Amino acid sequence: MKKLLLIAQREFMATVATKAFAFGILGMPLLIGLLIYLTPRLMKEQAPKVTGDICIIDATGQLTEGLRAYLKPEEIAKRREASSRRMQEAMPTAVKAMADRNPVSKAAMDQALQKALGDVPHLNIVPITSAADLEAIKAPLKDVPDKDNPGQRIAVIVVHPDAVVRDAGKEDFGTYDLYVRGKLDDRVIDEITSAMRDTLIGARVRSSGLDRAQIEAITHIERVATREVTASGENTSNRAMNMMMPMAFMGLLLMSTMMSGGYLLTTTVEEKTNRVVEVLLSAVSPMELMVGKILGQLVVGLLVLGIYMGLGLMALVSFTAMGMLDPWLIVYLFVFYLIAYVTVGAMMAAIGSAVNEMREAQGLMMPITLTIMIPWMLWLPISRDPNSVFATTLSFIPPVGNFVMMLRLATPTPPPWWEAILGMVAGCLGAYAALWFAAKIFRIGLLMYGKPPSFAVLIKWARQA
Amino acid sequence: MPSAIELRGLTKTFGATVAVRDLDLTVPAGALYGVIGPNGAGKTTTIRMILSILLPDRGELNVLGRKSALEAKDRIGYLPEERGLYKKMKVGAFLAYMAQLKGDTGGDLKQRVRGWLDRVGLLDTEQKRCEELSKGMQQKVQLLAAIIHKPDLIILDEPFSGLDPVNQRLMRDLVRGEHDRGATILFSTHIMLHAEQLCDHIVMIHRGNKVLDDSMAGIRAKFDPRSLLFEPFVPDADVSALRSVPGVAQVKRDGASWELALAAGADPATVIQRVAAAVPPSRIEVRRPTLDDVFVSIVAADAEGDDAAALRAAVRESAHGENGGRS
Repeated sequence: MKKLLLIAQREFMATVATKAFAFGILGMPLLIGLLIYLTPRLMKEQAPKVTGDICIIDATGQLTEGLRAYLKPEEIAKRREASSRRMQEAMPTAVKAMADRNPVSKAAMDQALQKALGDVPHLNIVPITSAADLEAIKAPLKDVPDKDNPGQRIAVIVVHPDAVVRDAGKEDFGTYDLYVRGKLDDRVIDEITSAMRDTLIGARVRSSGLDRAQIEAITHIERVATREVTASGENTSNRAMNMMMPMAFMGLLLMSTMMSGGYLLTTTVEEKTNRVVEVLLSAVSPMELMVGKILGQLVVGLLVLGIYMGLGLMALVSFTAMGMLDPWLIVYLFVFYLIAYVTVGAMMAAIGSAVNEMREAQGLMMPITLTIMIPWMLWLPISRDPNSVFATTLSFIPPVGNFVMMLRLATPTPPPWWEAILGMVAGCLGAYAALWFAAKIFRIGLLMYGKPPSFAVLIKWARQA
Repeated sequence: MPSAIELRGLTKTFGATVAVRDLDLTVPAGALYGVIGPNGAGKTTTIRMILSILLPDRGELNVLGRKSALEAKDRIGYLPEERGLYKKMKVGAFLAYMAQLKGDTGGDLKQRVRGWLDRVGLLDTEQKRCEELSKGMQQKVQLLAAIIHKPDLIILDEPFSGLDPVNQRLMRDLVRGEHDRGATILFSTHIMLHAEQLCDHIVMIHRGNKVLDDSMAGIRAKFDPRSLLFEPFVPDADVSALRSVPGVAQVKRDGASWELALAAGADPATVIQRVAAAVPPSRIEVRRPTLDDVFVSIVAADAEGDDAAALRAAVRESAHGENGGRS
């Protein structure tokens, strides 16, 4: 047992204590984590304060005042505040409570809000009566932006004469042309277009003799969240999460299994290529060597799984979807990882022992990789209908069964617990068969050099040993 | 004396090829045995079977009192022919790892690793990665890995191949040191000279069959060529007078020397005196059988004419070419 642990420890350290592992395995999740952390902060970043004149040539004569009123700094601030409040209200209770409990984060949120309100654009509406010399009116837009000059022209709006009242015989209303300074912040452009939209609608409704408030009341329908009614109660459903969760769990399982299996293959081929294997075989039996190596890479996979799982949980907390996660899924994930990894790892060890270099391993790996990718390719139909005969049958066939069962368990309609247990038993039988086969190949393959064997030869070895 | 290794009727085949056939062998504890034979003779297969790395098709074996070497692995040190190191591992860590795999977990392991490295002049490589060492250095580290846990039985497969004469001498000294400590040593080589220099008992394998199993003294007595090696004091001297010396049956040129075959019943000491009186020598000695000669004489019995000549040439070439001469 001590030798097993020694081999496992060396295998683990030889894999983990490398720059490639650090960059590949730790670097990527760190980067993802950093993005998860930074993205909301970067998105909250407000545009630089914009100050300037907007010239409007209003042929209808009905829009200038409305536009001026809509674009008043205090009105913009009010709208932003309302939008922010709506977002906060939409936040799940747990996160709101967390934010309230945490004085630092609450203060930071308030501060950010105030900062946002303080940086609203100051836009001065300048009406121009004649569009006779439009080119001259547009000319100042070409000036280089100057922060110290609050009177710089940043946009010119030319409203068509029929924008409020349709010309006789025409079905459509006229519109307006908008000219803006080069590289004007798109959020300011959004403010201008929103202002024009609101003002135009208001003017058209008025000119038609209608009551705008009434129309808005009639056309407004509150957005509702779907509520799932289940035996355990009612829950707000999240369709996107329902689709993503099974894929995420199976992806994690697949990634950690293939990654540690791949490392096992590489280190086995390396030991054979370096000719260190016979020295090892003088100290331990082939079975001890294989099991020790499988154990070492199992821990590597657990580390990878732990890192990505942790990041996933962080993301769930960050997106306030922690309630979507059934804690049992984490237990299932680790159990199915152990079974799937031992199965795949044993096969990888067998292949690694049989070939002389990585290039030769590709051909033998192909059938295994393709088989394991089947659940990945079928994730959509399986996760949509996880209890179909096809999905159920597939989840009991090793080695794909481990992945399919994980996929099914992570769906909103998981199979009963006894199916999960049955899947585990089937998986364990598959793992045992893979270990038995691999042990036979490993013993013969490690000392075989020369032409790489085909699958048929591997089976012959297994029968001989 | 108890035996460290005992093989009875050991046979191993690979497909249609019989690698080892009905091999019987007894290696007493504390002995220094050499297994010789050309490449492909079956030496490595025999060693792998002794170590239970390969399982025999037939036969019984007993290693250090056990039915399988697996049960006595920690008491065995092995330097395989196909040897290697973990390239990225540090030298000191590699040796400690190998010792631990052999069950050596003594608290002073690190000190002993340093001590051994110092002994072979590699102390400064302790913190270097194995891949940074030269081939000769790597080979020394590999030998250390085989003996660091003070095994009772040391099996070395072609330990001198690829080494320069200086390192060959160092390796020989290490092997002798282990033998003096009391370890049983079995090593294989296809360079007969190495076996001659180191072993007190030789086992010769040819095409999977054991063709010789005797002590060096026994081999010398059995394969005594009954001839003298003669070199005249004046290089171009006329040696025709030697043909008429009583006790000399035949005079034959052998490179820069002459080989004088002794007549049946002739006393070598008397003949030497007569030869020296007939033609002044710069060198005259009784020829001793080399393992090359022994091997050729055994194997050539199977081969005839050109095959036998080619065999002799090949054996001599491999002995002198790879070894770089007697060192």
